Amino acid sequence: MSVSSAILDDAERPVRAFRRKQLFRRVALLPAVIMLVLLTVVPMLNLFAMALAEISVSRGQTEWVFRPLANLSLLLDDTQFLTATLNTLLFTVLSVSVELVLGIGLALLAASVRRGKGWIRTVTILPILVSPVAIGAMWRLIYSYDFGPLNQILEAFGLAKVGWLSETSIALLSVVVVDVWHWTPLVFLILFAGVEGLPREVIEAARIDGANRRQLLRHIVLPLLAPAIAVAFIFRSIAAFKVFDQIVLLTGGGPGTATEVLSLRLYKVFFEQNIMGYGALLSVVTIAMILAFLLTARFSLRWLEARNA
Amino acid sequence: MKTIPGSARQRWRLKLGAALLAVGFAATPVLAQEDVPDVGEQVPITALINASPWFSGFEAAVALYEEQTGNVVELDVTPYSGMLEKARNAVRGAESTHQLLNIDGGWTVEFYEAGTLTPLNEIDPEFKLPQEVFACGETHWWNAAKRWRTPDGGALYGVPPNCNTHMQVYRTDIFEQAKLTPPVTVDDVAVSCKAVQAASGLYGYVTRGERGSIRFEWSPYLLAHGADIAADMENGDYTVTINSPQALTALTKFLDILKGCGPDNVAALTQNDVIQLMAAGKAAEIQVVVAAMSSLTDPAKSVVAGKLGAVPNPIVDGRKLPSPIGNWSLAIPQNISKEQKEAALAFLKWFVSKPAQEAYVEAGGVPVRADVLEPLADQPDYFWVKAYLSNLDGAVSPFGYAEAAEVNEVLGLRLNQALIGELSPTAALNTAAAEIEAIFRKTGRKTGRLPDLAE
Amino acid sequence: MLELRGRSLLLGRALLALSVVFTLAPFLYILATSFKTEIAIATGDVLFDPTLGNYQQVLFGRRSNFVRNLFNSVTVAAVSTAITLTIGLLAAYTLERQQHSRLVSRVFLGWTLVFHVMPTLTLIGPWYLIFRWLDLYNTLTALVLVHVVLNLPLTVWLLMGFIRDIPVELEDAARVDGCTPFQVFRKVVLPLVTPGLIAAGVLAFVFSWNEFSVALTLASRAAATVPIGIAQFAQQFEIQNGPMAAASMIAILPALVLMIFGQRFVVQGLTGGALK
Repeated sequence: MSVSSAILDDAERPVRAFRRKQLFRRVALLPAVIMLVLLTVVPMLNLFAMALAEISVSRGQTEWVFRPLANLSLLLDDTQFLTATLNTLLFTVLSVSVELVLGIGLALLAASVRRGKGWIRTVTILPILVSPVAIGAMWRLIYSYDFGPLNQILEAFGLAKVGWLSETSIALLSVVVVDVWHWTPLVFLILFAGVEGLPREVIEAARIDGANRRQLLRHIVLPLLAPAIAVAFIFRSIAAFKVFDQIVLLTGGGPGTATEVLSLRLYKVFFEQNIMGYGALLSVVTIAMILAFLLTARFSLRWLEARNA
Repeated sequence: MKTIPGSARQRWRLKLGAALLAVGFAATPVLAQEDVPDVGEQVPITALINASPWFSGFEAAVALYEEQTGNVVELDVTPYSGMLEKARNAVRGAESTHQLLNIDGGWTVEFYEAGTLTPLNEIDPEFKLPQEVFACGETHWWNAAKRWRTPDGGALYGVPPNCNTHMQVYRTDIFEQAKLTPPVTVDDVAVSCKAVQAASGLYGYVTRGERGSIRFEWSPYLLAHGADIAADMENGDYTVTINSPQALTALTKFLDILKGCGPDNVAALTQNDVIQLMAAGKAAEIQVVVAAMSSLTDPAKSVVAGKLGAVPNPIVDGRKLPSPIGNWSLAIPQNISKEQKEAALAFLKWFVSKPAQEAYVEAGGVPVRADVLEPLADQPDYFWVKAYLSNLDGAVSPFGYAEAAEVNEVLGLRLNQALIGELSPTAALNTAAAEIEAIFRKTGRKTGRLPDLAE
Repeated sequence: MLELRGRSLLLGRALLALSVVFTLAPFLYILATSFKTEIAIATGDVLFDPTLGNYQQVLFGRRSNFVRNLFNSVTVAAVSTAITLTIGLLAAYTLERQQHSRLVSRVFLGWTLVFHVMPTLTLIGPWYLIFRWLDLYNTLTALVLVHVVLNLPLTVWLLMGFIRDIPVELEDAARVDGCTPFQVFRKVVLPLVTPGLIAAGVLAFVFSWNEFSVALTLASRAAATVPIGIAQFAQQFEIQNGPMAAASMIAILPALVLMIFGQRFVVQGLTGGALK
């Protein structure tokens, strides 16, 4: 009896363990899925439906007419759309690459410091604590042509004042600087956590094997940081593609179309001009472009890796 | 500790106390009290209202209303950037969260066309705006058949809390030193701004050149030269005329003044920058909204307080540049109960009464009644009132048609490009004309456009 | 661990110092602005008589709702961060380690990404209607729920990366020792993922703290948060820079304190029972 029960027990254990595992993994994913279903399904379906329709409001009731081609022809006729796309791409590539390089570099540097890591981290994340509206207003003061500290410094050195936000060739770069100031801390924070979380054993082992600092960085540290870098890249790219606050508060898309970006175009069409159908189509196109951008980045990275290996 | 909060308010109150005393209002408080309309007991309402320079006046008026009538008006003070979104949300769905909506003049057409607001006479057939209330660009009227904002055959949809039109404000001391008089004609502006600039080293004439508002600043020049966006929009003729020779003259003169006398960064200037340039003593003359006067005359905010004068808009060919007006309209949504509509209208009735407007101006608002504002014109601190009243006469509210936001975007961009030299004035107007025609065509208006201007 | 020596040490220190200066300079400018009078701001004075007027106006002005805004923001940001981290970490762990079918994890991750890419502008209309229908308009609950969903994509993606770096052998060892899946998660994974959790927590907190569009649409006076209060100073024609700077500086303090406190909590709470 006791023997057979022992055998039974042994046979049952993996089954029970398997069930427990099944249960845990389902229950663990459930809350996130519930939240997403509750709050994202309706807006998503709504957006895609709107993109196919012409929408008007009459007597307080929204009226939808299914006219996908009408929206498409608006897109083809939209002369500002192309400018906005190019500016957005330029803005994204510039700001994200600078932020990644600075953020990774800073995280490695900060990790190499023996004391004061806490301070460095606190100081570095200060910019992301400031409300975006205030960031816009304050940088407008900093860039101010007649009263700003930047031009005051230039004048003190006997140099000519610069129209940071009013010169076509500079305005977009000025916005990039604000974005870099504001968001490098995010990259830093993610990467700093990544460096802190590196398994010490692996690095020690490599060092004992005689790896120098550069080899350590190139072959051990950076590959281990890759997931964190990827996340920082993905989320900074998305945010840069959607850049809105800084543009609206600093330049309003001007001068001319120098800082016209997709989100601003979208805001004007969807919100200010209240053309919801075409606005929704613009959103869908923007979403598609961001996804395409991310996929391109991913495949070019794979291709580079394959070529190097 | 230079300033304490409320000092500006107290100063205004003191000034006004003196002003009222001088004119003789204060001696008859009992009489004034009798003018208050008896609105009876009403259900509580919530008003959507924006933070603004005149908000403290509005807040004081509401406090007085609650005190006098015992009725409750809750204020949902919202940042300017959130006003349109909140007003739109309020009129959607089953029941509005707000019973009074403050709507920017430029947005009103959307609400009228969607039928989401209640005509005031639907609530009370007897209600009429008092004679003394300014016309204020007539943005609170809507003629549905004509699709145009006009009292002529139109219904009354709201009450303006302010009539925010433009003024020409200049430095009296600088003009005196340079032995110049403030400009009377548009050509004077172009000449005198350069002269005053040479004499003082200040910017001779500053106004907004930024994409979003340049079209607003240019429209007086356009209208005074006898041109307009389209032939006769009020009567349904949307043939685009923005590329007429008159419009080109208007643009050339306008650009000449902006480039000749404004700062190098004029193409990026917003209203806030224009106010700052004057307040900091860097500009000799500016074009500015009346709402800015409370800041410009406040010694805590402006180094030029006490050194300012105001003149009516300049004249071209015997016609005064019609002042653009950017007022708001307090309106009542459709999707609320009858009692709530009555309560909202009760407040509006009270708000346009003379005593309410006196309380409004006392706390820093610019009143919408002539009989409250006019008596103040002789007071030195209200130096701007005469110019304001003159500009208010014949002031025009742009954006009176459904496509206005789109047209504004196209036109603003092209004018801004002309200002920074990306386009010639001719090319800017030709491009804008073609684009505006396309907008009108898309919405099914009767349209077309003048032949292109020759380069 | 990656110590620098000699010349590269000096260079590293210099670069670090430079970046701290670049970060701090605009920040100090905002701080200075918060103590300036409107006149000093308008004229761009470098030397000025400091005033506390802006702070007084923000905190005690007759119209001020800022203390209430702060309370609302603290509540919303703290609660939504706690919920986001909990459900985000659970989701990230099961997705990374428990071999869901590729379909499940691909759909989930793709979905979060597409949602994250969606312009907020197109989300707030439907959300307004949903929360009116649920009778949660103008409540902190609505803001908490929305901020959780908005922060979920970054949290899950970020934590998955950190979990990937944990050696699987450690978990297997614990399992052999007879730990249930939850015990493995609690005693092995949690302590090792702490740095990632702190980073994700700080980011979720900061996004919630500064989120503007949704809070604007779903809340009015009673539930308005700090960004709404700060935006009040950007009026149609006039930006009140002094009070705006003061409000921004005030808003940073509780955020910093809460984050430091939260970090301690996470570090002590999670590494306590580590099986390292």
